[in-house]
Amino acid sequence: MNPTRVILIGGGLAGLMATIRVAELGHKVDLFSVVPVRRSHSVCAQGGINAAKNLKGEGDSTWKHFDDTVYGGDFLQNQPQVKGMCEAAPGIVDLLDRMGVTFNRTAEGLLDFRRFGGTLYHRTAFAGATTGQQLLYALDEQVRRFESEGKVRKLESWMFVSAVLDEGGVCRGVCAVNLRSGEVRAFPADAVIVATGGIGAIFRQSTNSVACTGSAQSALLQQGVHYANAEMIQVHPTAIPGEDKCRLISESVRGEGGRVWVPKTPGDKRDPRTIPEAERFYFLEEWYPKYGNLVPRDVATRAIHKVVHEQGLGVDGKPMVYLDVTHLPRQMLDVKLGGVLEIYEKFVGLDPRDHPMKVFPAQHYTMGGLWVDNERQATNVPGIFAAGECEYQYHGANRLGANSLLSCLYGGMVAGPAAVNYAQNLETSAEAVSSEVFERERKRQEEIYDKLRSQEGSENPITIWKEMGETMTRHVTVTRYNKDLVAADAKLAELQERYQHINLADTARWGNQSLHFTRELGNMLVLARLITQSAALRNESRGAHYKPEFPERDDENWLRTTRASYENGEFKFQLDPVDTSLIPPRKRSYKS
Amino acid sequence: MAEGKTIIVKIKRQAGPKEPVRWEEFEIPWRPNMNVIACLIEIAQNPVTRDGRKTTPVSYEANCLEEVCGACAMVINGRSRQACSALVDHLEQPIRLEPMSKFPIVRDLAVDRSVMFENAKRLRCWVPIDGTYAIGPGPRISPERQQVAYALSRCIFCGNCLEVCPKVNESSDFVGAALLNQVRLFNMHPTGAMHAHERLQAVRGVGGVQDCDNAQNCVKACPKSIPLTESNNDVNRQALLDAIFGWMFR
Amino acid sequence: MSSKAAATAEIPAEATTVPASQPATSYFWDKVHSLSGIIPIGAFLLEHFWSNSYALVSVERYNQASYDLQTIPWRVPVEAIFIWIPLLFHGFYGIYIWSKGKVNVGRYGYGANWMYVLQRWTGLVAFLFIGWHVYMERFLTQGRSTYFDVAMTLSNPLYVAFYVIGILAVSFHFGNGLWQFSNKWGLTVGRDAQRKAAWIAGGIGLLFAVVGLLIVFSFVFQWHPFQFYTQ
Repeated sequence: MNPTRVILIGGGLAGLMATIRVAELGHKVDLFSVVPVRRSHSVCAQGGINAAKNLKGEGDSTWKHFDDTVYGGDFLQNQPQVKGMCEAAPGIVDLLDRMGVTFNRTAEGLLDFRRFGGTLYHRTAFAGATTGQQLLYALDEQVRRFESEGKVRKLESWMFVSAVLDEGGVCRGVCAVNLRSGEVRAFPADAVIVATGGIGAIFRQSTNSVACTGSAQSALLQQGVHYANAEMIQVHPTAIPGEDKCRLISESVRGEGGRVWVPKTPGDKRDPRTIPEAERFYFLEEWYPKYGNLVPRDVATRAIHKVVHEQGLGVDGKPMVYLDVTHLPRQMLDVKLGGVLEIYEKFVGLDPRDHPMKVFPAQHYTMGGLWVDNERQATNVPGIFAAGECEYQYHGANRLGANSLLSCLYGGMVAGPAAVNYAQNLETSAEAVSSEVFERERKRQEEIYDKLRSQEGSENPITIWKEMGETMTRHVTVTRYNKDLVAADAKLAELQERYQHINLADTARWGNQSLHFTRELGNMLVLARLITQSAALRNESRGAHYKPEFPERDDENWLRTTRASYENGEFKFQLDPVDTSLIPPRKRSYKS
Repeated sequence: MAEGKTIIVKIKRQAGPKEPVRWEEFEIPWRPNMNVIACLIEIAQNPVTRDGRKTTPVSYEANCLEEVCGACAMVINGRSRQACSALVDHLEQPIRLEPMSKFPIVRDLAVDRSVMFENAKRLRCWVPIDGTYAIGPGPRISPERQQVAYALSRCIFCGNCLEVCPKVNESSDFVGAALLNQVRLFNMHPTGAMHAHERLQAVRGVGGVQDCDNAQNCVKACPKSIPLTESNNDVNRQALLDAIFGWMFR
Repeated sequence: MSSKAAATAEIPAEATTVPASQPATSYFWDKVHSLSGIIPIGAFLLEHFWSNSYALVSVERYNQASYDLQTIPWRVPVEAIFIWIPLLFHGFYGIYIWSKGKVNVGRYGYGANWMYVLQRWTGLVAFLFIGWHVYMERFLTQGRSTYFDVAMTLSNPLYVAFYVIGILAVSFHFGNGLWQFSNKWGLTVGRDAQRKAAWIAGGIGLLFAVVGLLIVFSFVFQWHPFQFYTQ
């Protein structure tokens, strides 16, 4: 066996899983991450990970998990790979268990499972209410072990800026910038796996972490990698609105019995605890009797928007609803939801065990992402693979809660060996590629940085970022109107123009965060435009994508993947058919 | 309401490891529910000091902003804590921001805490598994034991416990409470326990458990309320028994 | 284990292996230091307070007890092995440990942090006091100290003050040291156990302080409350 070299971009769950798989096969890994990998955004996942282990005697099965996932995603996924994921899920949870994840346990010492949105089964394994953190730590520790054995080299605080493509358009490595020294360097590799996660920063106040900018995906898009279903943006129904970010209140709160309600009287000023049952409007339970508070996120979010914006029933007349756990036993809350209730307590200053929480929807996840083929997580550019939230293939038009951790891990498990397999079959390895190829790309990136540093004008990157986020949040989240989307795209184009006139207050090389942020901002703007244009394109309502002008799902015209490519500053869209060979599409309704 | 209310922030700045230290003062508009991070974003948008001098945006580390990633630790009004959960309305003004002092400085409020991860390697902080292939479920664990382990496993490697420890400083090699807690965590796991001896040997190394002198600031500074002093003592007990009996009966 | 290097942007050319740490000799010496405070120093302290308590009975009983101790077989080697060497080691190694710490009660004024600081200062005071005490009562008297010698010393109010400070420092250091010991040897783990150990250790420290001060009063005021035993 010839040891090949694989570069991993991103050290969240997907990236770490892929790293482990490649290292395990005896190949060299260079793991790039903008933050120490243990601080990746995966830590924010709270509720759990789905796996149909059927340990509660409910007759759950991987097929039912598969069915729920496809139904929840409104049939926009290519089904075979989703089926593969659901079938692998129980094994993945076992693997995590072996790695020492502190999953909650039953009295018999087995894994405990709870309910989550979009399913009727107890299918979600969880570690308190910080499951993502616990999973990430387990993988981080495995990678650290490989690191100590000299099998993995970590390049933390290096930021990916571009892929290095040779004359044949084959990826031969990456260019990255050191966030401390500002040095741009090219790194050769036989294959590159991108696992750069979410894009929340495009919406400014989302539930995502600071590092989730989507910059890497956008850079790759601009280099020729296709991007699919960009318009499919998940808005989570329950978050704490915040000045710097929106903090997620996990779906598991509802999974354990939390109820969503508003006072029946508009602008009711009473303390929520004194409002009698009869004067509370449990709108989710009333409108969706079968699933109640556990409808999928797109459905819950739209319901909240309806109750707040159309019926004017928001708490205190503001865009907020109550998420109530005060009726649940404290001891259970501490054991199963401690981590998430703590967040509310710390950031709002009220104990949710005594006071109903005030929450509102916030951008949370992108179902769309880099286009990958079905079996190998490979993008259309040879040598570039993608896994995790940054790719598009598992969640269709809406992701079910507790499926994201699963899709990250499964994607990573597939991508690792697939990349190795690809690398081993290369005719010429990256080391044999002329150094000119690398130097050319490095210089190109260096020049972009030099231009940013020397640019003149009066614009400020944070201002542009805030305006972009406001535009996106207002027009390209829950409810979408074509004329607003066109206006939003025009606004984004204007921001792109103003971006050319950013004057950086700091032109130093060392530790210049605003320089790197501005570099990312340029990429964010491109991706924001793609999301907006994709949304404008899809004239139907499906999953998270809702257009009041086209309120129905239109399978005849839009059971299609919107696949975009970027050429000379323009997006080109092609509409790919969706593989629905296993479960024929049926009407999606959670009412009964 | 509260039109024109402002916040005064004083920041200890340093352009690089070898650059001189200076303090800068900023005045920024107050808004409800602001935290220290929101102040720093505000400064980045308008990097002008209180006396009207143009300056550079402040460098700092931050990621999740909900106190679960550990990135944004700094010294705020003299106390080491996470900046995201430091709400402006609960802080005395002027708000003084300093970088952590026990780690090499990168720039301004950003420091390099990689030593913690390096020590995690030397202390073997993981559960060694045979491989990622399907070989069935993990060991059974009682709910009580899981609850103890879970509390320990919530460590976010923020480094606050090291920052406040009198025994962690430039003339000592002490690994700090966070790492001792990791040793306890992995020795607790049924599979991890099979390799406890290696970890316990390592934790008797230079800067190991013997350097803890029970000032117990760690447990007060921990944002995740991890019972760090219990972990210190437990690792002390394990390391000692291993040192005595590991040698006698091995 | 820590790296004190400045933050750099350097990366290794290739992945590098990192071996597990190996036990260091400092672990052994640290444990010896912590144990020496209990055995033999603490044990000797107990014995010393006990035999000096004869002053509370009568001058004769005190002198008798002193004479018995001064005439044990192998006196000098026993003193060296069980008192002088442990004391010197405990004192100097303690100062070495102290030098590795950086006090921060100014910022973090928690109870246990104050105890950490006080443990160091009382240790120093105790060390100086014991050194002077040994010089005065062991060497100046050529190992033949009597009630009269001690009473002479304590006729000077400055020396009385020094004795009081010394005894309080020793008692605190010993009491808090017991608590430290229970932590450092992992005898207590849980928070409740730690708290209980703190009460017990504090009680023992207080007992030593009270008895020590009573002995001083006995010499200063010629006070022998248990004299009636001899009648």
